[in-house]
Amino acid sequence: MPRIFITGLGFITSIGNSSAVVEQNLRELRHGFVSHPAFAADPIPVKVAAPVRDFKTDAEDPEDWTIPAPYSVKRDQLRSLSPNALYATCAMQQAIADAKLAPEDVSNDDTGLYAASAGSPGMLARQVNRMNQHGVMRCQPLGVVASIAGTVQFNLVAHFKIKGASTGFTSACAASAHAMGFAIDEIALGRQKRMFVVGAEDGNVETILPFAAMRALSLNPDPATASRPFDKRRDGFVGTGGATVLVLESEAEVLRRGVTPYAEVLGWGQASDGHNVAIPHPDGAGLISAMRKALAVTGVTPADVDYINAHGTSTPMGDAAECKAVRTVFGEHAARVAMSSTKALTGHGLSLAGAMEAGFCALALKRGFIPGSAHISELDPACEGIKIPRTTLAEQPRIVLNNSSGFGGANVCVVLKQVA
Amino acid sequence: MPSAAPSTATPAHVPLTAEAEIALRESLRRCSAKTVDAAVAYGQTGAPQHIPAIIIGIIERFVEPELRPRLAADCDDLRVIEDLGLDSLTMMEIVMLVEEVTQTKIENDELRGLVTIGDIKIFVDCRARGVTPPAPAKVILGDELRNRMPITAPFLFLDEARVSPTLATASYRITGQEFFLAGHFKGNPVMPASIMLEALGQLGVLHLLAGLAVEPGKVVGVATIFFASTDGVRCHRVCKPGDVLTLTLKPKRVKEPLAVYTGSIRVGQEKAISAEEITLTFGIIDAPPAPEPTPTPAAEPALAQAPVAATAAPSVPSTAVPTPAA
Repeated sequence: MPRIFITGLGFITSIGNSSAVVEQNLRELRHGFVSHPAFAADPIPVKVAAPVRDFKTDAEDPEDWTIPAPYSVKRDQLRSLSPNALYATCAMQQAIADAKLAPEDVSNDDTGLYAASAGSPGMLARQVNRMNQHGVMRCQPLGVVASIAGTVQFNLVAHFKIKGASTGFTSACAASAHAMGFAIDEIALGRQKRMFVVGAEDGNVETILPFAAMRALSLNPDPATASRPFDKRRDGFVGTGGATVLVLESEAEVLRRGVTPYAEVLGWGQASDGHNVAIPHPDGAGLISAMRKALAVTGVTPADVDYINAHGTSTPMGDAAECKAVRTVFGEHAARVAMSSTKALTGHGLSLAGAMEAGFCALALKRGFIPGSAHISELDPACEGIKIPRTTLAEQPRIVLNNSSGFGGANVCVVLKQVA
Repeated sequence: MPSAAPSTATPAHVPLTAEAEIALRESLRRCSAKTVDAAVAYGQTGAPQHIPAIIIGIIERFVEPELRPRLAADCDDLRVIEDLGLDSLTMMEIVMLVEEVTQTKIENDELRGLVTIGDIKIFVDCRARGVTPPAPAKVILGDELRNRMPITAPFLFLDEARVSPTLATASYRITGQEFFLAGHFKGNPVMPASIMLEALGQLGVLHLLAGLAVEPGKVVGVATIFFASTDGVRCHRVCKPGDVLTLTLKPKRVKEPLAVYTGSIRVGQEKAISAEEITLTFGIIDAPPAPEPTPTPAAEPALAQAPVAATAAPSVPSTAVPTPAA
């Protein structure tokens, strides 16, 4: 199996739209939460969200959106973009520049793109409303492309002239981790030399608030404490959006191009709870299996692992189940291995989460730090027995795991290693 | 929302309500003030003279800023897709806005025939007046083109042509294999200006043969057409192998025995050559008796009965309504 490396990153997130700003905020534990103006109305019990910075994509017509410099998108591209596809387009430009890829490196038979998003519920709702109000033939001609679940890869594959493998993943909060896993496999199987992995979410009223009725969102109105994974008083997740793009390349490509990778990708594992459509297995059964598979295929033992970027969404049940799973897999090593949830800073990006947090892990491996788990004032006893640092540690991790879990009980674990 | 007026009867005009005017202004908010004024005036009066300004204004809104000046001059011959750089999806956006503002309905098969700005203007104008729009220009290419023309390789310089009574357009790609390029010039193949005029003349031949209405029982004699004169020729750009020439020819006066045209050739957005006048002579003769109907295989009756539709309809790739892949 060829060795695989992460050679480029692009971030459009609630904690920054560049690797430099993201790293600074991870080190200083600065969060991206605000009292969201769109949630201000009294009947909405949820008040806090982590909006994407500097972009404004609320308007129905994309030509009214605010796109910050240096990004600009021509009208004939903009008309088929959902907000998340716009964020992904910008993150993709960053990642391409970061990996120092020439246009011919991006567009060839050996370079593919896997994306994860749930589509754009907001765009879809507007499209259906328009159809009902103005008639079938008065809808935007590209309304379908701009709204359904594949919108991110439709747009990116066409705009960046991708010629290799492309598809989308829809396993909700595990989706971009799945995209990364199968992208790893494409390179491992020798089918592709390079893969772009894209996670993207609108992060607006339509993607976040439907989780309120499920009682999954935090009702805490304080932006400074609403997202507090592993804290005793956590009461749900806080929504966010944006996009992250990772560039994965085979060792041969890394050597040919002479670039310095962020991290090596050792492999991944996945397993399902087989339990409930929306509730995690109380013991983390699927996550246990996913982590064990990831360790087995990569030849990594619990003793080798320095850091776990937890799924840790700040829901009462999810965090407890994950801690149980980690204690089960790591046994005596649980008290030594550091675990944190960066969702305490970013909020939960749903389909974006896996790729965004794999990006954070790559930054941590390259730049030598272990992100702390913010906003814990009193650790939940259910989360004891694991080392959960409250501040970012200036320690060089060597091997890290990134966990993601999604609806239907899907669990994914990706293993990354420092490039020595 | 008011519903679209029936397209066959003369629409009885119902002036805009205040509410509809607000909706109209919202729909046109990215268009120039002039366009909005024309649309509101049209909405209030139903007077078709406002239609050209509405059409131009709506197209302008979708055209990249650097190409907008082209819409200022006489632009009826501009092809929306080839000359203004709009794709067929943008064409659909334009059509939707035109439909909304003018309360007309343009069906998919009608849309295929609307290639130039003039086509759209005439179509919407006819709809607004309640008359049937003219049939779209005929596309002639391949064997049909070669069979119709009295000229053949290696001296035929038309690949594909569209001919209507008021306009003929064609394209020709300079392959580099043209015999005269070996000597014009030594080691530097350049399309001779005289050959480019010849190509315009050939398009005139096709217009006379395919686009001219003559009385029943008569036709333009293929062997009667000859080049007579040209005037006001200007060359603007050197054309070389690989260039695709876009020919435009407009009849100024056509009366046996003379047909006078004004013509120009562009490569992409660049003007290559223009001629104020190109004159051909021609004669009208009795139509030859119709050939004996040849027996057709039973499996293909529809094709045999409708040769024009069979050749013309599917051959407009650049303007065909796209079929989404999934």
